[in-house]
This record gives sequence, structure tokens and C-alpha cells, in this order.
Amino acid sequence: MPPASNPKGTRAHSFFKRLVQQRTLAWMCIPFVIWAFIFKYLPLWGWTMAFQNFKPARSFSDQQWVGWQHFSTLFEDNTFYRVLRNTLVMSSIKLVLGFVTAITLALLLNELKNVIFKRFVQTVSYLPHFISWVVASSIVLTVLSPDGIINLLLMKLHLIDSPVLWMGKGEYFWGILGATEVWKDVGWNTIIYLAAITAIDPAQYEAAEIDGASRFKRMLYITLPGLKPVIVILLIMNMGSILESGFEPQYLLGNGMNMDYSENLDIFVLKYGLGMGNFSLGTAAGIFKTVVSFVFLFSANYIAKKMGESRLF
Amino acid sequence: MLKAKVRIASLAVLVTVLLAGCSQNNSSSPSATGDDENSPVTFSYYMFSPGKKDTLASETTIGKVLQEQTGVDWKLEYLVGDSATKAGVMIASGDYPDVISSSGEMSKLLDAGAYIPLDDLIEEYGPNIKRVYGPYFDKMKNAEDGKIYALPYTANQGEYSGSPNVGGGAFWIQRSVLKEFNYPKITTLDEYFDLIQDYKEKHPTVDGAETIGFVSLAGVANNFFTLQNPAMHLAGYPNDGSVMVDMTTHEAKVVAGTDAQKKWIQKLNEINAQGMLDPESFTMNKDQYLAKLTSGRVLGYFNYGWQIGDASKNLLSAGIDEKRYAPLPIVFDEGIKDQYVDPPGFVNNYATGISVNAKDPVRIIKYFDNLLKEENQVLVQWGIKDETYSVDEKGRFYYANEDQRKAHDDLELSRKFGFTYFGTDWPKYGGESTLSDGNAYSPGNQPEVAAASYTEGDKKFLEAYGIQTFSELFNKPEERPWFPAWSIALEQGSPEQIFTTKSDDLQRKYLPEMILGAPSNFDKLWDAYMAELNKLDKAGYEATITKVVKDRVAGKW
Repeated sequence: MPPASNPKGTRAHSFFKRLVQQRTLAWMCIPFVIWAFIFKYLPLWGWTMAFQNFKPARSFSDQQWVGWQHFSTLFEDNTFYRVLRNTLVMSSIKLVLGFVTAITLALLLNELKNVIFKRFVQTVSYLPHFISWVVASSIVLTVLSPDGIINLLLMKLHLIDSPVLWMGKGEYFWGILGATEVWKDVGWNTIIYLAAITAIDPAQYEAAEIDGASRFKRMLYITLPGLKPVIVILLIMNMGSILESGFEPQYLLGNGMNMDYSENLDIFVLKYGLGMGNFSLGTAAGIFKTVVSFVFLFSANYIAKKMGESRLF
Repeated sequence: MLKAKVRIASLAVLVTVLLAGCSQNNSSSPSATGDDENSPVTFSYYMFSPGKKDTLASETTIGKVLQEQTGVDWKLEYLVGDSATKAGVMIASGDYPDVISSSGEMSKLLDAGAYIPLDDLIEEYGPNIKRVYGPYFDKMKNAEDGKIYALPYTANQGEYSGSPNVGGGAFWIQRSVLKEFNYPKITTLDEYFDLIQDYKEKHPTVDGAETIGFVSLAGVANNFFTLQNPAMHLAGYPNDGSVMVDMTTHEAKVVAGTDAQKKWIQKLNEINAQGMLDPESFTMNKDQYLAKLTSGRVLGYFNYGWQIGDASKNLLSAGIDEKRYAPLPIVFDEGIKDQYVDPPGFVNNYATGISVNAKDPVRIIKYFDNLLKEENQVLVQWGIKDETYSVDEKGRFYYANEDQRKAHDDLELSRKFGFTYFGTDWPKYGGESTLSDGNAYSPGNQPEVAAASYTEGDKKFLEAYGIQTFSELFNKPEERPWFPAWSIALEQGSPEQIFTTKSDDLQRKYLPEMILGAPSNFDKLWDAYMAELNKLDKAGYEATITKVVKDRVAGKW
């Protein structure tokens, strides 16, 4: 049989040929493949914990197997659905606000002609990123306290009669968290878009200008479409972590009064898993999170593919 | 060329190894008790109690002296953040320091097998440990295997010497309030708040900011008991944790959902409606709380002395007596006998033990044993003679001058000397102990020290009430052989523990809502709260605690 009629064989053949050709590259990859295997795949072994009544410091054979019990505990607990709702809402807020504000700021910064002012705005906006959440939450608590600046301002403007207990009203928590996240990370998230904008061919702008496009039109028809691949890729990647609504801000800003809105999956795991030494339940919740993230990631990627956009894989 | 290099290098390594081996042999065998035993070594020591700066023991005077005696130095690390989380992470990783002081995390650590049993070590190397802890061994044994895993901090020695000052729970009131109304004697909750209200009306602002009537530290998750506990104190019980234990039947009753709690929360709701409660009580963090206490704006608060140590020391050093606070044993009604002062008890799960990762348990147990020698117990509490304390002709310890007192009271100085670090979380005599020469073990309990430390304002206050010490305001504790019930260890992940977490969550949500809500809404919210609470397995929890209390009364710890 002529080799051409066996595409499978040729493909394998050419794969090995390329491998030999690019052996230097392949060798360079090996340490990282090993790294990924040790740190990303081996820990998956720990998932067995979710099906046991895991006791630390005992050998694997001494563990008691309980099947899906921890998952049913999880799904039967009313608190679980509340924290799941909070997690989804908070990460959606974070996702949408994060994208909109970062892209808007990047577009606006790009239009600035005064370089010194542009650099200044950029620096100021990304500085909060480097403050730890512990400090940031203290700032937020102080600003929002009954005799804090926000209440003072609103009172002076006669918008409210008496100070509002911002942290004490559960309904306000999501908004406060969203605003805090934006304040902290908008500058940082802008950087990648600004970098992408520099890659857009200036000739396009010149051509548009000659054709009489206004600045706004140029922004809309050149800069934004130029950013689209980056936006889509980032969106897909973030969809994968839709259940990662963050841990520190909720933990540090949360209190008894806004608990119904501030507690998310991570805090739930901390309280009922780690906090009580019930590692199995914690692991079960972790697995659930991973599965959901997987579904989100793949669907986002699939949609991107259908729409003919750039995609992750 | 290369081969020659390799050969030389390996030869050098070999020689080094041989030399090292020889030198070890040479020194250790002939003089087992000589210098070598005190060879310098540093162990790690983790404390599940927060609020102190990490340090090396040898950077303090006390640590240095003990290092000279034993050659052992310690890397002292203190809890930052949530202790349950830290314990979980520590157990999950198996990354234990040499020694762990457990605070509230004992059952978790024991369950994970973090500690080694100490029985044999004590038998062999611990004459002083036996002397101090011997009478308590029965209460220290692990229920499961009868072994001792940790050394607690409450093994009292000699005669009981109570504290002249109040370090436990109390309703605190700014002294200017009492002074304004000529030091009235108040005992009930209504009188307490009426007085504060009268004062607030007369003095609506302090230094330009609004006066705060009453404040609580209920916003910090692991300090929520500050809001929960007053209910049982007001009803005439000491701090037994989340339960009140009947003196005769020894039945334990959960405080949550009782009439006592309802009365207490309703009162707070009432004073909130009158604008006397700081609504930030439920949202601020501990730093903000302590800052408020030192600002002079707060008239009253409920707290345990040990929660606010730094704030009281700061107020003391600021020197404005009227802005300091006086402790009051407030109860619901005239007829109730207050029981704020803890009865003598033994806490067996706030203790320190040697972890399974310890490099050299023998050196550690020897260090502990040396630490428990009476002279070293004097060192960690009183310090060095004629430097941080003096002895009079009758052999009584006292502070001869301001410098000596400051060495103990001043935050920075007491850190530098090491009182802050060695005063607790180590194997030690219980705080109410008496030394063999009759002096009080804790300087704070020595009447001479207390009397001399009183400021002019203190003296005026005591004189106004016709008493010698602040603790005389409080009733003497009644005997409670099970005390404290909060030291009862619950099994990890057990229904009892889940009840505790769930009912705490419930209270963290509902109590502030009830307090800050409109008074007309109170009953409706209370009913909703009770409905949720009754869904939990309260009876099971009470049964478990009652059983342990009864066991303890029968002598089975």
C-alpha cells in the first residue's frame, strides 16, 4: 500500500519528524511539563478526600469511605444555596464592572494627548492595586463609617438626614464590593488594553481621519474592534473562574448584619470545612466549584467559536 | 583536569564529614551534663493567641536569662487573623512548629495527632513539672487514651490569691459619669443606662464629637461573645461560655433564646431608640473599637479586661483619670447576686504541647522543667530583683519606684523585658497562685503592688465607695466544680459543633437586626429568630454539655 493512502501513519510520521526537528524546544518544555504535572495534576489525588470521612495525619488505608455523603450534605444545606447565589452575583458584578470600567478607562486614556497628565492618571489609578486587602478594607470601613467622609458629604449636600450605616445593610454590600473592586483594580486591568491598543496600525487612524471620522467614531470603529480579540480571550478566561468571587474582601468587609449577602462559597468552605476540621466537606465544595467552572469555560469557548471569534483552544 | 578537581572536592567533603563526626563524639560522650547539653539551639513556638509581635525570645531580658541557663532560644510566632482557619491550614499541611500553644484549637490539634504524649518525658526529665502539675494530672489526661499531651496555664499553687483589680467581665463606665453624679451606687441595668443617659444629655459632645452612650464589639466575628455573654452575667451567672449551668441540678441551658437574652437584647433595642447605642458596634473592626474607647467619647461598654488590655494601658499612661473606666457588676434586678468573678477552675484545653515535628523533645521538656523552678517563675512574673521589683525587710515583693512599676505596665518596656511574652502561653503556675514564701505569684494580685499602683483618681474612686480594691465591688465567686463549661471540648465536625456554628451565625444576623430595628418591630423579629433557632438541635447540645458537667462534678474530667 502506498503510504499516501494512510493519512494516520503520515500524520504520526510527520509529528515525530517535527519533534526531532524541534527537539531543543521540546527539551526546554520538559521541566515545565513536570512542574505542571506535580503541582497541577498530582494534587487532584486529594479529591479522594471528598468521598471519605477524612482525618488528617492518618494513612490512606485508614480512612473511612462514605461515598457521596458530603455532596448530599452540601446540597441539602440551605446556607449552601445562599452562598452560591452570593458567589454568582458577586463574581458577575466583578466581571461586568471590571470589563466595562477597564475598557472605558483604556479608551479614554488613549485619547489623551497630554502625556504627563496621562501618566499621572495611570499611576494614580493602578496604585490601589498594590495595597493589601487588609489595608484596603480598613480604608473602606473608615470611609463608610457613620462619621466617615461619605456620610459627611451626603449630609452636607442634604441628600440624607442622618448617617447611613453602609456596612450594616445587607442590600448595599454588593454595590460596595463592586465599587471597591473597581477602585482597587481598574488601573491595573487597563494596562493590558492599553498595550493592545498600541498594536493597532496607526495608518487606520490616519485613513479614518482623512475620511472625516470624528474622534468618537475612530474610537468606536477602529480602537474597539482592534481590542476585540483581547476582550474575548480575557472574557473566556474569566468565565472559567466565575465561581471565584474572591475571598479577602468578603471576609474582611463581612459582618453579621450583611452576612446574608456577603458570605460566598469560599467563606462557607472556610467555616464548615477548614474551621471545623471537616476537610472532606471543603473538598466536596471545591470539586463542585471546579465542575461548574469547567462548564462555564467550555460554553464560553464554544460560543466564541460559533461566532467566529478568537478563542482559547 | 576536571577529574582532579572532583577528586579534591570529594576528599574535602569526606574530611569535613569525618571531622564533624569526631568532634561530636569527642564532646558529647564524656560530659553528658556539661556544656554540650546547653549548646545553642533555636526552636519554634506558635501561639494561637493574637495581639503580640513576633520575636526571638533572646531579644527579651527574660528570654536571654533563660537562654543562658539552657542554651535554648525560641522563635515566637503569634496568631494573625482567624485561629480556626490557621489551625485548619496547619493541620492540613502537617507543617507544625516545635511547640504549639493551642488556645481554642486544642481539640482540633489533638484530633490530628499534632502533639506527642508527654508522660514518659515528664517521668524522666520533669521533677518540677511533676511538682507543679502533679495535683492536676487527672484533669489533664486525654479522655481517649489517658495520656497527657499538653501543659495548661491554670495549675494554681499554694493559697488562692484573688486579683484586687478586675481583669474579667464587667459593665465598664467612664469615671466622669460617676463623678458627675457624686459616685452613686448602681446595680441594675436600668440604673446603669439611666445614669449614662443623664450624663449624655448634660454633655452631648466630647472635644467636638458626639458622645457615645454605649458601644459593643460585636462586629468582629470571633469577638461576638462580647454581645452574647452579658445576658448570663446579668442573670447572675459566671462566664460558662454559651450555657448557663444550674447550681443544684447541674443542667446546662443554652443562653441563646432564653428570657435573659431577650431582656438584654430588648434593653439594647430600647437604648438604641434613644440614640445611646453606637450603631457601628456591629460593623467596626477591633482597631476602630479600641480607638473609640481611647477617644474619651464612650461612656459605657461591656467587655472582659483582657480584650482591651492595650486600650486601658494607653488610657492609664495618658494620665487623665476621668476618662478611664471603672468596672461595675451590673445585674437585671436588685435581688440577683452577681457572679462576674470566675470561680477557681481548671482549664485543660488552653495549654501548650510539643508537636510531632519537634526536633528535640528532650531539650524542650527540660526547658519547660527549668522554667517551672520557682526562681524562674518569679523571673517571668516579677522580673529581676532590685531591677523590676524589690523585696522589703519582711520578704514581701513590691515596686520600690516608678521605674519598676513602668517596667511591668508600659507596653514597650514590658515587651522589651519579656513579661508580655513569658507571662502566659508557657507552662506556668496558675494566675491565682501564691509563691512558697507567701508572695502572690502575679504582681497584679499582690496587695502592696495594687495599692501603690492606684492613681489619685483610683484612690478617690475607692474612697467614694468605701472600699480598698476594685474587686470588692464584686461578689465573691461561688464554688462551681465544673467551671468553666466553655473548656468542654467538642468533637470536630460533630453535631454539637455544627450547632454552635449555626446558632452563632443566627445570632450574628438576628441580634443586631433586633437591636437596631424599631422597638415596635422587636417582638416580630424575636419570634422569627426563635423559629429559626428551634430548628437547630439545641436539646442534643444541652444534653452533651450537661453530661460533661455532671461528670466533672463527679470528679471525672
